[in-house]
Amino acid sequence: MPRQGARSRVHLAAWHRVRAVAGYTVGIAAGVIAWQLVGEHSEQQIFVPLTDTLHRLGELISDGTLGGALANSFATYGVGMFIALVVGAFGGLLLARSELIRTAFEPYLTGLYAAPMVALIPFLLAFLGFGFWPKSIVVALFAFFPVLLNTQRGAQSIAPELLDVARLYHTREKDLWIHVIAPYTLPFFMTGVRQALARGLVGMIAADIFLSANGLGGLLITASQFFDTAEMLATVLVITAAGIALMAIGNLIERRFARWKVDQ
Amino acid sequence: MKHPAAESTTVRQAVPVADGRDSRPEPVEAAGRAPRSWWRHPAVVRTVAGLLILVVWQVVVEATAKSYVTRPTGVIKVIPSVLTEHLFLSDIGTTLTAVIEGLAMATVIGTVVGLLVGRLPDVRRILGMYVNGVYAMPIIAVVPLLTVWFGYTPTARLVVIVLEASLPVIYNVAEGARTVPRTYLEVTRIHRAPWWRVWFGVVLPASLPYVLAGIDLAIGRALIGAVVAEFIASINGLGYYILFNVNSFHEDRAIVALIVLALFAIVLRALVNLVIRRVLVWYRPV
Repeated sequence: MPRQGARSRVHLAAWHRVRAVAGYTVGIAAGVIAWQLVGEHSEQQIFVPLTDTLHRLGELISDGTLGGALANSFATYGVGMFIALVVGAFGGLLLARSELIRTAFEPYLTGLYAAPMVALIPFLLAFLGFGFWPKSIVVALFAFFPVLLNTQRGAQSIAPELLDVARLYHTREKDLWIHVIAPYTLPFFMTGVRQALARGLVGMIAADIFLSANGLGGLLITASQFFDTAEMLATVLVITAAGIALMAIGNLIERRFARWKVDQ
Repeated sequence: MKHPAAESTTVRQAVPVADGRDSRPEPVEAAGRAPRSWWRHPAVVRTVAGLLILVVWQVVVEATAKSYVTRPTGVIKVIPSVLTEHLFLSDIGTTLTAVIEGLAMATVIGTVVGLLVGRLPDVRRILGMYVNGVYAMPIIAVVPLLTVWFGYTPTARLVVIVLEASLPVIYNVAEGARTVPRTYLEVTRIHRAPWWRVWFGVVLPASLPYVLAGIDLAIGRALIGAVVAEFIASINGLGYYILFNVNSFHEDRAIVALIVLALFAIVLRALVNLVIRRVLVWYRPV
């Protein structure tokens, strides 16, 4: 009897695995078939089959358009993210450390955070123009707040026991920061980084579309002006892939540093 | 979040106070510090900081920027005329109606899809990757395509808002439905509850806090969606009001619209949080 039970458990596990694989397969197949069928039965300007989209994607890759657009977009993204991370981290520490600054500026920061960032773009465009730096600043603006708020939350929630121990050992201010506050805050900062990676991507596409139209967003805009649906869909595919990759990277680093948390 | 406010004072005292016992009885210390000088009162500090921001803004703009760049005195001057402007009021109406409509639709769609994805493993395997993919994609990237499909119409804006807003709801509800405590479901099985009582009596109420958390996230995204759609498709509304006025060198007027958008977001989120605290008093995070 026990052996039979064990065998049926094995069967059950195998059946579950088959069913899982079947589920994913059905999901992918349904998506591919739906895209193909809808594409074949609609007008060129509305939607195109998956095969046409992939064909266009191949063209974009081989003639270097896509590579150039990616390099262009991610240059602004990199610079903007760098600004956001540095300013966000220092700002967050400052807010957490000084009660005066926190009470003074928190309501205004909350107000600015509530405003939809895209609505600031016309002002930036009028004030700064539409070159590389304004675009980086748009990315930084989109990505900055999660870093700031998470860093602040982390640095503010630091366990008093840790500070008590440091105090017992007469730790100097500098060492307190390097050995206690920074390591404690780092996992919270990384949560901010994960959120910022996704928001920065939105900022990047927005900057591409509304400031100088180049990069991936520029590709979208020119394609839409020529009603080149295949190119639009191909670009959307690339942007989605970038989004998924950034999300994976963000989860990875957040999880890596989560081990540092004193208690979950 | 488990330690209440006074942490930063602890940080500040960490070095100078060698003997920890002096500062240990914190309530006493807090009580002793409470009647601080009047200028340390939060309201005073905030007002001063606000005035400081306005003054710095004014001075910097006066000194460096062109005459059409917005500055506080200019904004104050135009507020009465903007608030009585018919176009502005109708723009507030159309944008905010669209956002609320979109949020309502997103809540329904998000809850249904989220419950199915969260509760039924087969549905999760089929739909899950598409939900994740679209959630990872900036919705702004499909707006040009959507304007081709729906034209430069308010419908396009509504579709963008619904797309933006439904994803966080789906995501959160799926998480909530997946983590419904097993004991609840075992009780329904013991009582041989029919499927509809399991779904509407247990799974849905247990996921309700997640629905609200999703809506809370969706509000900001819905506003972004509305503004992006109005920018790209030139649909009348607060976003287009901002774009039009900035482009015709009336930044002061545009700032008023921006403030209205921010206030709307703050009020909506406060409402959702009020509902979470008042209505969901029975909710106990497991």
